[in-house]
Amino acid sequence: MSLRTLKFVLLGLTVIVAGAVGPFLPSKWMTTLMYAQLFAVYAMGWDILSGMTGQISFGHIFFVAVSGYTAGLLNLYLKWPIWATVPTGVSMAVLAGLLFSVPALRLRGPYFSLVTLILPLAAARLVIILADWTGGELGKFGVTPLCQDSLLNTLEGLLSRLHIDSFRLYQYCNYYFFWVLMTAVGVGLVWLSTSRIGKILEAIRENEEAVEAAGINVAKYKIFAFAVSASVVGLGGALSVHTNEAVFFNSLLSLTSSIEMIVASVIGGMGTIVGALWGGFLVRGGEQLIREIAQWKLPIGAEGLALSFLERWATFIFFALLLVLLFFARQGLLPLLMGLFRQRRGEIRRG
Amino acid sequence: MALLRVENLRKSFGGLMAVKDLSFHVEPQEILGLIGPNGAGKSTVFNLIMGILKPDRGQIFFKGQEITHWPTYKIVNAGIARVFQIAQYFPRKTVYENVEISAIPNEIFTRAIDPTPKTLQSCERTGLCEHSSDENRCICRQELPGMLPQGGLRRLELARAIGTDPELLLLDEPFAGLSHAEVDEISHLIASLRDEGQTIILVDHNMRGVMRLVDRIVVLCFGEKIAEGTPEEVARNPQVQEAYLAGGGF
Repeated sequence: MSLRTLKFVLLGLTVIVAGAVGPFLPSKWMTTLMYAQLFAVYAMGWDILSGMTGQISFGHIFFVAVSGYTAGLLNLYLKWPIWATVPTGVSMAVLAGLLFSVPALRLRGPYFSLVTLILPLAAARLVIILADWTGGELGKFGVTPLCQDSLLNTLEGLLSRLHIDSFRLYQYCNYYFFWVLMTAVGVGLVWLSTSRIGKILEAIRENEEAVEAAGINVAKYKIFAFAVSASVVGLGGALSVHTNEAVFFNSLLSLTSSIEMIVASVIGGMGTIVGALWGGFLVRGGEQLIREIAQWKLPIGAEGLALSFLERWATFIFFALLLVLLFFARQGLLPLLMGLFRQRRGEIRRG
Repeated sequence: MALLRVENLRKSFGGLMAVKDLSFHVEPQEILGLIGPNGAGKSTVFNLIMGILKPDRGQIFFKGQEITHWPTYKIVNAGIARVFQIAQYFPRKTVYENVEISAIPNEIFTRAIDPTPKTLQSCERTGLCEHSSDENRCICRQELPGMLPQGGLRRLELARAIGTDPELLLLDEPFAGLSHAEVDEISHLIASLRDEGQTIILVDHNMRGVMRLVDRIVVLCFGEKIAEGTPEEVARNPQVQEAYLAGGGF
């Protein structure tokens, strides 16, 4: 089986599971996994640039913000419909990516990363300075929902025999919107990453001089990867504004999210795309899982104490577990699995 | 018409004049030796030709076209390829995948061309094949470059360079760090490329090693050309003998 086929199979299995568990999820988990799908899109978008070419961006949330604020504000103030806000937001993210990448890609290693880190910091200040329009740190409500009433009514009519209450239906609608987005982005990026373009991006990570010596314009490929990456995270950002029905500072410009994109990709396996998707679920689902565990009924009377203790420590424990994972499975889940798979096959062949 | 023409090339690093008003040319299907003691500026000349360094002044012409300020990839696509002294490879890609990179076109949006036949051809020409039961078919080696001996890495470098279909091949100290047996193998390989009509510039500090291979020699010393001619002429040149004796002999 070729690497491409293997990745498509793994991607297929993952999205089938994510799609199939939807109806069985309790409401809280449905929201968590909806955002996990969005975050998986961000992680995959980060991975096609940074994971594949080794140009580590610490500030990818910036492109989420450019697209999200563009879409959200156009909708809030100029009443643009979704079909116009989302493409405009994505275009702005790509434009920002191109404008930024041309000078930034001259920089190498830590300098490049530092510059990317400054981007969202600067953008955050701008959002706060322009708080009258952007809502500043509080955000601004009133963005047109992705799942509008007309769509929900149609769905209700279609699914009338299932007797789903309207809140649940609304959740389903958003959940599957992001499921479709994640699947489409996953298919596109797995294809790209295993194409000849992906081969070149990977080669750039390993030895730029050798790629240039093979007659390949390294800068052009890096800029292309930057544009694809910005468009993917921008698409996620613009759609998230419409599901949140608001421009939220904390979801559009959170530095933590920016770092978690890197963590997701590294845990899953840098440059593997499918690994980044898994990592996205682990990062976003993991913390919620620890919270859930904290709320399990304990058999002993000390229940109350343990509960509050664990709940307060959940995020900390989560980060500590991430550290352990990064220390001991640095190459990431997908390469680890593939290594095991190869070993098994090797043993069979030898035996 | 000369395939490559270098005119009054000058490059200094701070106070050090690495290449001083150097002019030379290479005719099609010729093997030119660029010889000189360590620090004579030979590798700098290669870096200038490949666009990795920009000259302070002077011009470089390839097939009559000036390429002095072109970027590396464009120079490669115009038909010059270089084999590095220290192998430049992709450590996590197999030998096959390493060679494959040169068979992939530079264009992002273009119709897919299968790079496989070209890759196999490059492997075959440089002896990087692993023969299966079918002895006549070449299969590129599947191991990682780190597993190859020095001579193998040199072959890998050559394969990647040849994969770009160069009209001019620059070989930077192809025998450095090789065992005697490997030197013979790589010499054979270079000779076979020459017999196929490949134009080559070969840099070496060891004149004796390249005498048999080259048609003509340019001798560099402290960035300046001190002699030029057939190997016999150059070997008889008293200035060359002096430079080499001063620099520690042949």
